Amino acid sequence: MHAFDDKPRALDPGDDPAEAIGELAGCTSPWLYGVRHHSPACSIALPPLLDALQPTAIAIELPEDLGHWMEWLGHTEAEAPLAVAAVSKHGADLGFYPFADFSPELVAIRWARDHAVPVHAIDLPASRREGRDRGGDVLGIESRLRGTDDDSWEHMVEAPATAQDAERVRRAALLYGWALRLDAVRGSGVSELDLAREAHMRSVLERLGAYAAPRPAAARSTKKVEAKSKSKAKAKDDRRDGARVAAIIGSFHAAALVPEPSLWRAPASASSETSELVSSLIPYAFELLDARSGYPAGIRDPSWQQRLWQTQRDRGDVAALVSQCLVEITRLIRAKGLPASVPDARAAAEIALSLAALRGLAAPGRRELVEAVQTALTQGELLGRGRIVAAAMEQVMVGHHRGHLAPGTPRSGLAPHVFALMEELRLPGAPRREAMTEPEDIRLDPLRSPLDRRRHVALARMRACGIPYGTELESVAAGGVESLTSVWRLLFTPTTEAVIELAGLRGVTLQQASSGALRAEAQRLAADDKLGATSLVELTANAAEAGAGELVRQWLAELTGKRLAEATLAELIALIALIDRILAGHVVGLPADAEDGVPGEIDVFEAPVMDRAMVLSVAVASVLGLAGSESLDDARALAELVRVLERPEHQGLGDGRLRWSIDQLVETGTPVIAGAAEVVRVLIGTQTPEVLSRTIGGWVDGAVDADARRVLASRLRGAIAIAGPLFESAPVFLDGMLERVERLADDEFLPRVTALRDGFETLSTASRKRLLRSLGDRLGESDARGQGLDVVTSIPPELLVAAAEADRAGRAAADRIARPALVLPDVSPTTDGARAVPEHGIPVRDRWRMILGHERDRMKPRSLRVARALDELYGRGHGEGSRDQQGGGQEQGFPTVRAWKDEIDELFGNRVFEEVAAKAALHGRVGALLELDPAQVQPSIELLEQVLSLKGGLGEAHLGRLRTLIKRIVDELVRELAIRVRPAMQGAISPRPTRRSTGVLHLPRTVAANLARTRIDEDDRVTIVPEKLIFKTRSRRHMDWHVVLVVDVSGSMEPSVIYSAMMAAILSAVPWIDVRFIAFSTEIVDLSEHVSDPLALLLEVSVGGGTHIAKGLRYARSLVTVPQRTILITVSDFEEGFSVDGLLGEVRALVEAGVICLGLAALDDRGAPRYSVQIAEQVVNAGMPVAALTPLELARWIGEKIR
Amino acid sequence: MTKKRESKRSEEAGTQAPPPEQIYAAELEFLAKWDDGARPPSWKLTPRAVVTFIIGSKNEALRAGGSAQVITEKFVGDRALVERCVVTLAGERGLLLVGEPGTAKSMLSELLAAAISGDSSLTVQGTAGTAEEHFRYGWNYSLLIAKGPHPEALVPSPVLSAMRGGAIARVEEITRCLPEVQDALVSILSDRRLSVPELGTLEPAQRGFNVIATANLRDKGVSEMSAALKRRFNFETIAPISDLARETELVRRRAKQIVADAGAPLGVDDAVLEALVTVFRDLRLGRTVEGWPVEKPTSVMSTAEAVAVASSMGLAATYFPSDRDVARLLPEYLLGVVMKDEPKDRGKLLAYWDATVKRRSEGDARLWKSLHELRRVLEA
Repeated sequence: MHAFDDKPRALDPGDDPAEAIGELAGCTSPWLYGVRHHSPACSIALPPLLDALQPTAIAIELPEDLGHWMEWLGHTEAEAPLAVAAVSKHGADLGFYPFADFSPELVAIRWARDHAVPVHAIDLPASRREGRDRGGDVLGIESRLRGTDDDSWEHMVEAPATAQDAERVRRAALLYGWALRLDAVRGSGVSELDLAREAHMRSVLERLGAYAAPRPAAARSTKKVEAKSKSKAKAKDDRRDGARVAAIIGSFHAAALVPEPSLWRAPASASSETSELVSSLIPYAFELLDARSGYPAGIRDPSWQQRLWQTQRDRGDVAALVSQCLVEITRLIRAKGLPASVPDARAAAEIALSLAALRGLAAPGRRELVEAVQTALTQGELLGRGRIVAAAMEQVMVGHHRGHLAPGTPRSGLAPHVFALMEELRLPGAPRREAMTEPEDIRLDPLRSPLDRRRHVALARMRACGIPYGTELESVAAGGVESLTSVWRLLFTPTTEAVIELAGLRGVTLQQASSGALRAEAQRLAADDKLGATSLVELTANAAEAGAGELVRQWLAELTGKRLAEATLAELIALIALIDRILAGHVVGLPADAEDGVPGEIDVFEAPVMDRAMVLSVAVASVLGLAGSESLDDARALAELVRVLERPEHQGLGDGRLRWSIDQLVETGTPVIAGAAEVVRVLIGTQTPEVLSRTIGGWVDGAVDADARRVLASRLRGAIAIAGPLFESAPVFLDGMLERVERLADDEFLPRVTALRDGFETLSTASRKRLLRSLGDRLGESDARGQGLDVVTSIPPELLVAAAEADRAGRAAADRIARPALVLPDVSPTTDGARAVPEHGIPVRDRWRMILGHERDRMKPRSLRVARALDELYGRGHGEGSRDQQGGGQEQGFPTVRAWKDEIDELFGNRVFEEVAAKAALHGRVGALLELDPAQVQPSIELLEQVLSLKGGLGEAHLGRLRTLIKRIVDELVRELAIRVRPAMQGAISPRPTRRSTGVLHLPRTVAANLARTRIDEDDRVTIVPEKLIFKTRSRRHMDWHVVLVVDVSGSMEPSVIYSAMMAAILSAVPWIDVRFIAFSTEIVDLSEHVSDPLALLLEVSVGGGTHIAKGLRYARSLVTVPQRTILITVSDFEEGFSVDGLLGEVRALVEAGVICLGLAALDDRGAPRYSVQIAEQVVNAGMPVAALTPLELARWIGEKIR
Repeated sequence: MTKKRESKRSEEAGTQAPPPEQIYAAELEFLAKWDDGARPPSWKLTPRAVVTFIIGSKNEALRAGGSAQVITEKFVGDRALVERCVVTLAGERGLLLVGEPGTAKSMLSELLAAAISGDSSLTVQGTAGTAEEHFRYGWNYSLLIAKGPHPEALVPSPVLSAMRGGAIARVEEITRCLPEVQDALVSILSDRRLSVPELGTLEPAQRGFNVIATANLRDKGVSEMSAALKRRFNFETIAPISDLARETELVRRRAKQIVADAGAPLGVDDAVLEALVTVFRDLRLGRTVEGWPVEKPTSVMSTAEAVAVASSMGLAATYFPSDRDVARLLPEYLLGVVMKDEPKDRGKLLAYWDATVKRRSEGDARLWKSLHELRRVLEA
């Protein structure tokens, strides 16, 4: 043994383990028992050793100031698992000590209780640990012994322990600790905290007389033999010779506790600072004890450990326990509907036993059990079956056992802490602790006032704990700027107090309890397969508010790590925003500056090194998924992404890819997205504003018919959604449009005006007004282009209109007269102002007033008519300024929808009302739709989409009348589609020739095939001797194929949904295809009974809610009876709101069952999908191809599959 | 139907890829002496010796009967995995090795068969054209016509031969066989005998008989297998090599062999090889060594492909020597591997160059700098 030394001795290779173990195990003063905190092997071996030793005192590695809990821990009526939690008065975490039946310390405490031997807690008091480097773990030994991948404790001590002599287990454990210590000393050295703890343990052992000279060996050995029969009086006698102290300590510390310690030195400084301690004993549960739960000082698979301990205690057969576990696991797998039977369990047991034999173990351990399950039960399917097997294994191995406190155990913990804190923070309700009758609002300024910061964080933590006390009121800051103050509504009720008591289970301070609650929430979500990127971003934001720095760090790591692949663009942007706020120190709970922190309560948060660039590059990669979107939010997300990328710190990131993607969007995107992408091109500098302005002009030119006008409106909406503010300040973008608006003749302009107005409607009312004003500056109030200079005339409008008509007619007549072709001189305008502006019935300024919906009172009468008709549709707009009275005109609207329709027909032409009717209905004028003549309407998907989107808000009376309209549109569309689609499935519908005998002869082919064998007999009759017979396949095979359409209706009534319904109808008309239609959001509706009637189907579908694809697929899977003849088509944007793993699992399960799967990101005539690229990619990897198809392509694909 | 095999140093000049029992004859002989403990019936080695044969003796010389020998490492992977394989083969179920292409499933199955039975040639290669005869037996038709049904006219399949000899039969790519053909194995694996109704006889399997099958997760997965057949197998999933250094070492070793077979030294230095393996791993895992995410291409990026690229580069350097740096060839070959399935993959490789290679080039590594300059090759 080495001398007690101040410095760590340089170890020579001659350190002989055998000698070292001889010393450690042979030491009797004190007698050392090195353990791992949770260890069935050590727990089993301990009682017989203690029985033999008959110690006069037992020393346990537990902080001295927590020693009083041992009485309650070891109480006969207490049931493990239990945990001792210690915190300092102001909240710093000082330790967490869980105990289970298989914890050697608890075994020792119980033994001592039964034998009336005193137990002493000898470790460094928890109150003196604050501020010391805790080495990452509470018990020190734990982190070292728990191991990571290679569980070396398991290999060296636990597994070989079965059926072994107790003393050998003790030696193995001591050897393990010694080896670790040797490693530590040779490596980074033993931590100061450990040294200080060991110094303290030594001093307490000294005090207990443990180091007193041992009594003669001979005397002791006789005592050992007789010990069991000795009376306690005799044991007391022994103390005079020197106490027999048994020290149950982490095996790492053993070498430091022998009388002449080795591998040890005195700690550099003995800190005497103490903090006030609050501790409590709480009932614990196996799921928290599991090392994977995130709670400290756990162990993997507690239920398995418990059973292993029980089996060995009762001298049972460990091999039998392994088999039993395997049987339970297979039963659970079977309960989930997968095949797994007794032979499987037997095969697994066989593997476990053989592996144990190959590795020289007496019985299989946890490792062999896990390996056997992997090999024999998962069948190589890691995602589908594997997940179920893993879940079953977890259920058996982790368990749900809960502990109970003995009656009379002192309670302490959260409630007193919360009340003290509330009082300190002067929060209402606390001092009196009486129910408040009226809620009280307080406004906090947490970023400036330290007190408010503490209040805010305390309230956020209580919210995280689920304590009903404060609600944060939404405060909308002007201009979307982050709000700096917060407003809380507080109400203290008896429920508040009750819930505080409940929340105490998770910790003794608000900080602990809220972290625990958040963690539990994450686990609950994970268990329900609901933990996706969305919920995790939300949880992280909550954790940040509640100042749970550890959780934030952990979850951010997860989000920027493995979950990055599941996030959609919107989530990624939310994530970046959160990261930016945290880094900027704007999150109240996570101050960046030391001045803002409140040590122990609101700790300064050192933000982890995060790769924002990484998140961004993933976001860039998801951009393509927006191609099919119709939503302005997506367009804005695109702009937001570009805005983030423009920051100096992200300069040049993913440029090539982004440029390429944006170009793709311009090419293939929907009008909304293409329009937005055009503007983005300007923002990222790949295009000049001039080109954009010309492009926009081109859009206006192209809007010659209803469809093109719809495209124009959408493109404008997309472009303006992004560029609105730009347009306002720099209307150069609008030059092209300005020119068109100037030049278009009245009858060209009027049909387009609804589309233009529609596009600019994206801007808020006030914003449109500002735009009009800045355009006015450009147009020049007094300029010739201002035309008419706000003349207010008294001529009746009818007359003016008539005059204009007459003018036009005259002009047309003049045009009909043949004239010599004149070569116009090239009049290139020298300045903008000099360009001649054609005369119009509606002056340019009025045109812009119509488009932007302002200044009605200054319009010419004819313009006013148009403007009134338009305002009827759009009202006062939205957003900023829409509530002011100065927006639109104050004139009366149209008395009836009919009058309005007539006006629109007259002013704009009669197709235009059709275009605006659905929109009008959306704005609350349902009557507009009823004005449409079902027989006259031109059926289009868009119209159907809009009409259907209304049905939720309509009464049955309205709906009944609309039904005719919808029916006509649907019928028309289905007929049209069927004509296109049927031929593609022809092969599947008509019989094909085959050699296989079906009983139906294919005569022409048979004759053709046997022409070589014709014979002409005497009567000149030709006889064919058929050698090869060719038959027709049977075409009427009933319900031979199953097509399951699983349709996502979470978003809007998109074309994909409509087409799915129509395809279902067309497919169901094929006699041997059985069609199922399942609509899902977070709920599932099986609409299979309506498949043949798309009208009913579409009316039944109710849109909205989140997306839970896995649930839809799970249901669909339950419908599958003949996997090999089932086609499953999932129509979805793949923005799974729940766990992506769950989704992949379902896909795998389907694919593995042999179902032919296809994912459709879009099913419409454009084939441009809007979907989550990243998740779709993972779905593809799981075996379900994802595509965007037109109905025709889908029909072809199905035709090929069922051929 | 051609299944890649690793090229091994051929002892007889001219033979491509001799079987492992021939290459490692000396090691096998030695191991039989080294552990003379109890062995399962018909096994040539004890289970422990089989494991040692496959994962090697970690450069330590083993001693037996006066001689000492180092057992080379043949399969780079987890010891526990090999242990499970061996244990399974000694039991009642067959062993099914599944994994991505290029994870050395076939090699492992060859090595197991060579070590256990001393014969890795009893192999059925699964294809869509594999018929039941390949698992059962066929007939020599001229003998059949001449003598009628007679044991001599019966042509045994590799599986039947293995049953007769108590040996290990191998089925490569079992999922590519039609399901009804696969099911011929069900009765063989459960009853352990094969009836020949034409002769009215029953061929019992000798003790020691077992089957190793391999299946490729990329092609069809195990979905095509019936539940009945699945239940007759224990599954082992072979993962790509998890450790960069070991994978680099493996690629270097294999590429060196291939180039050496062509009679030249490998002219690709370790830095280039490491870069190559790093790129392959990043693209395979969808995550770089540094933890940055990468868009995964659809094509297979296994170690075997990395070996192919490395040896192609080596051969190019040998046959077309020039003063150009070999590293310059890397992007082209990479494109050749990545662009197999989908043109979209070019975009992904480009994005990889955009982000990951660019970042690494910002560090000190000269190699990454020059690789980043080669970006144009990819854009073409």
